Amino acid sequence: MNSGANLEGAAGGAILEAVGVGKFFRSPNGDKIEVLKGLSMRIARGESVSLRGESGAGKTTLMNVLSGLESPSAGKIFWNAERVDNLSNGKQAALRSGFMGFVFQNYCLVPELNALQNVELAARICGKFGKAARARAKELLEAVGLGHRAGHLPSQLSGGEKQRVAVARALVNAPRIILADEPTGNLDESTAESVMDMLLSLCSREGASLLLITHNPDFAKRTSRALTLSHGVVE
Amino acid sequence: MKWWLYIAFKQLFPSGKVVSFFAVVSVLGVALGILGLFGTQSVMNGFHAQIAEKLRDTTGDVLIRNRGRPIENARELKLRLKKLGGVSEVELMAGGPVMMLFENVPSFPALRSYDTVSGECALPIREKSFIRMGSVDDLDDDSVIVGQRLGASMGISVGDSVEVFSPVMLDKLKNDEVPMPVRLKVVGLLATDYSEVDSNVALVSLRRMQDLYGLGGGVHSIILRLGEGVDCSDWVEKVGKNAVERPLTVSTWLDSNEAFLRIIKMEKVMMSLIIVLIIIVASFSICISLYTSVLRKTREIGLFGAMGARPVQIAMMYCLQGFMIGVFGSLCGLGLTWLILHFREPIVEFVVGRESLIEFYHFAHLPVKYELGDALRACAFAIVLCTAAGFLPAVRAARLKASEAMRNE
Repeated sequence: MNSGANLEGAAGGAILEAVGVGKFFRSPNGDKIEVLKGLSMRIARGESVSLRGESGAGKTTLMNVLSGLESPSAGKIFWNAERVDNLSNGKQAALRSGFMGFVFQNYCLVPELNALQNVELAARICGKFGKAARARAKELLEAVGLGHRAGHLPSQLSGGEKQRVAVARALVNAPRIILADEPTGNLDESTAESVMDMLLSLCSREGASLLLITHNPDFAKRTSRALTLSHGVVE
Repeated sequence: MKWWLYIAFKQLFPSGKVVSFFAVVSVLGVALGILGLFGTQSVMNGFHAQIAEKLRDTTGDVLIRNRGRPIENARELKLRLKKLGGVSEVELMAGGPVMMLFENVPSFPALRSYDTVSGECALPIREKSFIRMGSVDDLDDDSVIVGQRLGASMGISVGDSVEVFSPVMLDKLKNDEVPMPVRLKVVGLLATDYSEVDSNVALVSLRRMQDLYGLGGGVHSIILRLGEGVDCSDWVEKVGKNAVERPLTVSTWLDSNEAFLRIIKMEKVMMSLIIVLIIIVASFSICISLYTSVLRKTREIGLFGAMGARPVQIAMMYCLQGFMIGVFGSLCGLGLTWLILHFREPIVEFVVGRESLIEFYHFAHLPVKYELGDALRACAFAIVLCTAAGFLPAVRAARLKASEAMRNE
């Protein structure tokens, strides 16, 4: 990819694509553990894709490889048809901060910041400050139904509320894709349901693609396409 | 505000709280180190300045001597010296040890002359009101002004008479003559607030001193007071040494007390070195706390990485915390130093007692002199050390792989 790469991308086509991606790790005794084996998949702009699989199947590893948090041992990753797996760490970081949003199972909120500041943090890391960033953070907090809890610390929020803050944070930079790793894994059924409703509707509203890693078949069905990761490949 | 600066600030001063416990303890540790270092330096500076002032006040600015022998043509030389630029006062001085007897209580003070005829004195006896319960004008050939503490130790009051035996009287013994002591009336007390002088010195007229030491018209030294703002060492180098002929020697009060003043300076350096250890220990504590924070916040650091933070920014976040602790600790330390030293008198009174201060340090009050250089050096040292303390945790945080950090339990 050249330095003038179009990271923002054009409308239509695959926003994120993996071609023949392999990933292996070395165990402490030197054995090769192959997690991904020549996997290929693509996520189109605005598309929501679910990814299921047994624990240890490599779902999180795949998400890390797709987002540039880990390098693939083999194969290529394309962002908007531009190869990105060979970019420098700095450029991959810029790609993540500007165009990707993350939601994790364990919320990962910064305990010293209140809900609004947590949402703003992603914008700050992206280099966005000031009134516009704050207004966007407030708007998203309102959208997830937590406008009245903006000044509350994570310790003062319930699990569902924390995850909604995390969703707002993931969307604050208007990313092209949300990578959600078991976002409802720590929540009870009804809370999980409401968080999922909100995640899907906000992704749709913002025009962001979604890669949803989940164990829940019902949630998987609600995405445009449901994939299963098994033996290192997607089916 | 850059996000890493913002997070560094928020980790020390979290939302919903005024300040974090870690920040309070760390800042306090550094502040105590600064208090120890800058406080000690300020007191040592005070000692140095006050001792220097007292030495200058009690010895004069420039001394002309004849290698231990009397100066014979002193009056002629005095007239020449008075005409030199920068000279404010010229005093002929004789002095030396004697035995003083009061009601069979002996003491061996040093007598120093005062020229009662000309009234010229190179010491600020009048300006600084060194004489109590009398006046230097009351001094004549048959009277003496004794040091306040000397008088107190011998039970002498103003109006009493003391007997004085000089070393010259030994010559009379050799010739089988009976030496008769000189009887002098006490007409005042010498109180310079420098106990070294107040405990060991008495003033007599120049004529009486010349008589006691058999000097005739000679004196032991010529003492000069220089004008305001004249540098003693410069004056001696440029003017003084050319104004007198050998074997006379010219020296400043600094030369005469060089060893003593150097010891005080060395004491300051040694004490500073010992107290620097406090700041080093504080910085180790900060390092350990920040390192623990990195371990505790591994997943959070992974999150920053996932959201696009660069390793150098994550490192800056921890270095900045160390830096901020250093800055706040230094400022608090300076404030604490000022506060403690402002109320030093009751503290000294309570901890060691004023008598101990006078007995061991020769001063009635604990002297303090703040020097900007000392404050800047202490703060710079603390800030650099605290920032360095944040460096190791910063490197550890920066080297964390976001994907692995996110999986941290």
